[in-house]
Amino acid sequence: MLNRGVNYKIPRNLLFLFESIALFLMFMYYRNALDRSTIIYGLSLIFIIYISNLILSKIVSGDNYIFLIVTMLASIGIIMIYRINYEQGFKQIIWISLGIVLFFATYFIVKRIKGWEKLFLYYCLASVFLFLATLLLGRRFKGAINWISIGGISFQPTEIIKILAILMIASYYTNYDRFKEKKWGRYYLIGIMYLFVFFLFLQRDLGSVLIFCSLFLALQYIYDENRKLVLANIVVLMFSGLLGYVIFPHVRIRFETWINPWEYIDTIGYQITQSLFAISEGGFFGTGLGLGHPDFIPEVSKDFIFSAICEEMGILTGIGVIMLFMILVYRGFKISINQRNKFFRIVALGISILFGIQSFIIFGGVINMIPLTGITIPFVSYGGSSMLSSFIALGILQVASEELDIEED
Amino acid sequence: MEKEIKRIITVLAGICILFVSLVVYLTYFQIFKADKVKNSSYNKRLWINEEKILRGSIIDRNGKILAYSELNGETYARVYNYGSLYSHIIGYSYRDYGKSNLELYYNNVLLNTSESAALNELKNLVEPNSEGNTLKLTIDHHLQEYSRNQMKGKKGAIVAMNPSTGEIYAMVSLPDFNPSTLREDWGNIVEDENSPLLNRAISGLYQPGSTFKVVTAISALENNMYMEDYECTGTAVVDGYPLKDYDGKGHGTVNLNEALIYSCNPYFAETGIKLGIDRLSETAEKFLLNREIPFDLPVKKSLFPKKGNIGKTDVAAASIGQGKVLVTPLNMALIASGIANKGDIMKPVLVKEVISKDGKVIDSFKAEMISRATDIFTANELKNMMVDVVNKGTGKNARISNIRVAGKTGTAENPSGNDHAWFIGFAPADDPKIAIAVILEEEGSTGGQKAAPIARNIMLEALNTINN
Repeated sequence: MLNRGVNYKIPRNLLFLFESIALFLMFMYYRNALDRSTIIYGLSLIFIIYISNLILSKIVSGDNYIFLIVTMLASIGIIMIYRINYEQGFKQIIWISLGIVLFFATYFIVKRIKGWEKLFLYYCLASVFLFLATLLLGRRFKGAINWISIGGISFQPTEIIKILAILMIASYYTNYDRFKEKKWGRYYLIGIMYLFVFFLFLQRDLGSVLIFCSLFLALQYIYDENRKLVLANIVVLMFSGLLGYVIFPHVRIRFETWINPWEYIDTIGYQITQSLFAISEGGFFGTGLGLGHPDFIPEVSKDFIFSAICEEMGILTGIGVIMLFMILVYRGFKISINQRNKFFRIVALGISILFGIQSFIIFGGVINMIPLTGITIPFVSYGGSSMLSSFIALGILQVASEELDIEED
Repeated sequence: MEKEIKRIITVLAGICILFVSLVVYLTYFQIFKADKVKNSSYNKRLWINEEKILRGSIIDRNGKILAYSELNGETYARVYNYGSLYSHIIGYSYRDYGKSNLELYYNNVLLNTSESAALNELKNLVEPNSEGNTLKLTIDHHLQEYSRNQMKGKKGAIVAMNPSTGEIYAMVSLPDFNPSTLREDWGNIVEDENSPLLNRAISGLYQPGSTFKVVTAISALENNMYMEDYECTGTAVVDGYPLKDYDGKGHGTVNLNEALIYSCNPYFAETGIKLGIDRLSETAEKFLLNREIPFDLPVKKSLFPKKGNIGKTDVAAASIGQGKVLVTPLNMALIASGIANKGDIMKPVLVKEVISKDGKVIDSFKAEMISRATDIFTANELKNMMVDVVNKGTGKNARISNIRVAGKTGTAENPSGNDHAWFIGFAPADDPKIAIAVILEEEGSTGGQKAAPIARNIMLEALNTINN
């Protein structure tokens, strides 16, 4: 017990040190426009993160690293966002604090309430409802309809649907034996997933299409007894991808800008080339906080936050962020393998895959390794929906990391 | 359960591979691609950073300052001391119009930023610099100015160089433009149909006309296929297509030497056909046609018809520098240099030294042979013939008293306008100090009349003023 306590303390304190140094640099950068609230906000962020890590280590019996990793990621994100635009920085501090609250709330709720694996139909209906709401009420933003605005608060339903989809897939495979007995039971999930992908395609949200497809494919690969169906699914998805490329100009254009962004530098290739400038300018060690020009990239605090990190903190920090995600995914998989409750085993897998794939798609996109699709980096990018839903997912993962009852039925 | 865990681990491995590939790609990008990306003129950072660095000066071989930077408020601005004179060598460097010529190709040196981003950063950690390196050119300011004055009012190019080291003393291309007033002139410059932005000396492709006969002659000598007594009637008929001499009168019985002295077209056309395209192109390629010429600025590749399927008329035309042969003036100067330098062509050089801010020479050029064009005996024989060209033949206007000058004139038929006037040569013939190529574009006169006197004056001026 004593050993564990000491071990936990060291990374927490390191994180504290990192945040203090970064915040100090931040204050230096804004030294002419520094007011008291800035300092209070900054210090309270460090305090919140430190305290929540401390509380977490006292109250939970499961994994203590995932929250630590995530707060590290969020700290890097907030410092970058704060440096780029300090109004967004303030808001982001609020989002993170809310996220942490939601994390604990989710943790307690999911842990207390039993029977999550029985709600397949409700997950499904809720998702479809959200999809329909998006299509009917949504407003188009940068070509994709994925925002809806209710009572002045706008959010991205897709972020919630991701979690619902994971819960749905998990409850489906937990109760796979029961579904199998029904006539078309084996094909329920695949049908619903195709419907989801179709909805996303209607929204023109290609990044989410990619996330849902890979998430579903990975879980189907692990759990579906019908191996031919898995294979068929892969073939169908590849074929539809090809078809999409041929039919839809907005898909084709992504590929063309990916192959040669320089040709379209004045138009559709502008963002990606600005991102590449930022990354190459940063080199290995970065220009230093406040010394680069990430503000040349449009939408830098959302989709392109990684390029900004690479420019000012160097690709070594960029690689560090990638590695943090890799460890997060690894911890998630480890949680899954150690979990004896099947539902939470699958949920843990789903959430880890979600974090992994989503971050990969956007990292790969902004460095032009794969075609760019506009999605956010979980915990790092600016934005409420993404931050809150990621913390909810993390809360569920936290529950999954504990020893739970095995449902027998 | 066993199977499930196996599959879970497969998926985990897959995701890890994706992440590792990100790291690998990012590292690869940073090491191999970042520099090129970073230096794109679309990168706005370039200008922000650059204007804080004192860009190095550019000086001539004697230390005369040709271009420098001075503080203009918060940032540095470029000053060009001699207006148009160096527009095709130094070029320009502006935030809104980008960079050209040495300002572009030596940007990293002038700013003292290294090629590798990683090294750059390590260096910046140790020693943050804000002052670039100075470029010392091989150009002789006096000769450059003199050469341009010789060309006043004409279109064309001059390349004057040291044949044994490859150092370029003067390189003129007209029309040119004034980098100091580029902003005001830009509209006119880009619309001007005479393309003042084009450096004709290295990017202009012209038919070399009779100056190319020196290459044909070398090929004939090397392959022992020259004719001792050829009856020149003034016209040779190849495949029913008559090739005429410039004046259309016959030269009587001529040997190779006399044919070169009088620039006898039928003689060389016949010789070319005898040699055949294979031998001819082999020699031409040794003289750098169809080859990339390494230089401090990018050089257009000169063209010679490739071996293989080509008609007799084309071979005949090629052997007198017409038809499908196209050369840059720099290439012609290198051909003259090769003959002057015992058959060895040296790499042409513009940047003599790179001098750091504290006055240390951190890089200096080394004379380097890039082609063994012919052997010393053939080169010597050609040299004597070229001396005769100047003493008795078409090149009389290039004569200098008391100095033996070797040369060859050319008048290239130009399908789209007036003839081009050419002269290539070197002096003194016995110990060549300067080699030259002069082309007057669409001059409408012969090389002997118009190009030869210019070449003569420049060679004489060079011999009198350049010492080393």
